Amino acid sequence: MATITCREFLSYLEPWMEGERPPHAQAHVRTCANCSAVVKDLEMIHAEARSWSASEQDAPERVWTSLRAQLEQEGLISEAIPASEGRAQAAPPRTGWFTGLFPRLPRPVLAGGYLAALVAVAFALSGPVNKRVNEARWLKGTQISTSPLSAQLNFAERNSNSYVSRSNPVVAASLHQNLAIVDNYIALCEKSVSEEPQNEVARDYLYEAYQQKADLLTQMTERGENVQ
Amino acid sequence: MSSSHFVPAQWLPKTNWKAAGLLVPSLLLCSAVSAGPRRQEQHFKVAAHPVITIHNPNGLITVKAWTKSEVMVISTPASDRIEVDAEQMGNRVDVSTRELSDSIAPDDMRADFQINVPEDAELQIHNDAGNVSVANVLGDMNVETVAAGVDLEDAAGYLTVKTVGGSFTCMRCAGRIEASSISGNFRLLDLRSYHVWAQTSSGNILFNGEFLPNGTYSLKNYSGVIEVRFSPGDSFDLSATSLKGKVNNEAKLTPSPHQRHFMPRWGNALFGTFNEGRAKIEMTSFDGTINILKRD
Repeated sequence: MATITCREFLSYLEPWMEGERPPHAQAHVRTCANCSAVVKDLEMIHAEARSWSASEQDAPERVWTSLRAQLEQEGLISEAIPASEGRAQAAPPRTGWFTGLFPRLPRPVLAGGYLAALVAVAFALSGPVNKRVNEARWLKGTQISTSPLSAQLNFAERNSNSYVSRSNPVVAASLHQNLAIVDNYIALCEKSVSEEPQNEVARDYLYEAYQQKADLLTQMTERGENVQ
Repeated sequence: MSSSHFVPAQWLPKTNWKAAGLLVPSLLLCSAVSAGPRRQEQHFKVAAHPVITIHNPNGLITVKAWTKSEVMVISTPASDRIEVDAEQMGNRVDVSTRELSDSIAPDDMRADFQINVPEDAELQIHNDAGNVSVANVLGDMNVETVAAGVDLEDAAGYLTVKTVGGSFTCMRCAGRIEASSISGNFRLLDLRSYHVWAQTSSGNILFNGEFLPNGTYSLKNYSGVIEVRFSPGDSFDLSATSLKGKVNNEAKLTPSPHQRHFMPRWGNALFGTFNEGRAKIEMTSFDGTINILKRD
């Protein structure tokens, strides 16, 4: 059976989440811990969202459009994988916007893009919910969408701290100081959301704070990579 | 052994001792200079709308426009353990600082730049620490820093500035401005921009400029102060919301004829129109203060 690389597997991720799982992609997930973790996280978010609100199983199209535009603007994705980079010998996966995701990206950028995508997905899954649900349901929904995100960010933060310790002290100090500011905002926003679960302004600020943290951790990792 | 080393003192005129006294410190100074920063000046002929990219970890970057179709790069590295590369690829000039040694101290990873560019140049600048100053450049600009402050003067085009903790000042800028930061303060002074989007988490935002007809002005922070100054002749639709902070207003607003605002269930909010409501201003804060004040 033809084997595929992690980069090639990413082009199968969208069909994978929709149930299309070609044998060579399955084989890759079985042997690659990183891709397996990505799949597990996305499946967990998907499953939680499904259980939370049957009427809002998928992120609205506008969110994916917005996410795609943002990733393209930041140069994190392009329309297609260059032909020279080839593909697995098996039948090509169906084309879609996700197909060109993450070609030629160094690991920190990939990690950053992944974190940003998680934030966007979490935002999408928590946003346009039925207004009639009660506060407990709102709170639960927010927690469900943010808890895997929070875990991912905390994991990324541990790695970033070790990276940034090797860079310029002024830069490292600024990054740490601003990370503390963002962490503080996350805590305050979480408090606001728990006090007023239906307060969409507080939830928007919470997700923006998560987005900022993801951006910041990406920068920290990139700078650490440059220093190495 | 050479006898020339044993010249009797009486053979030397007294004035030679004075000369020697001047010569020795001069030689010491020269040797000190040669071991210090190596100033380098490079020139590149360019066509219209050149692109200049600058990647520097730390230092002062000063960019000014001039009338020549040429890019001049004067660089001063802080140590001989780093090197400045400036090369031309077509109509693009790439300037970057790189280390020559693996064990370089962070303080040595610094270079200052004085760069002259044609006024229609496009700039892409990355500078983590230090400062970035750009004047009279009318092309598009993208500046990213961590701790470095960014000062733009008389700039136009599409200006995007992203800092982590660095402040951002934009004086007499036109065109389109998008700025984001976590703790940096923003000062937007004497602007003539039709689109301003500024977002900082803990920083303050001061906007003191013209609100152009059909212009959109979006200012957002988490904490800190957002302040806009207006003149009696200005014309804008205004929306100001602070979830947990205050909104202070000196403008005499009337209910907006253009759109219906719903008072939010949370926080302090102010909506209304000043004169004909030609520009659109949106200010949002989590627990910061929003001030809408008359211009002095």
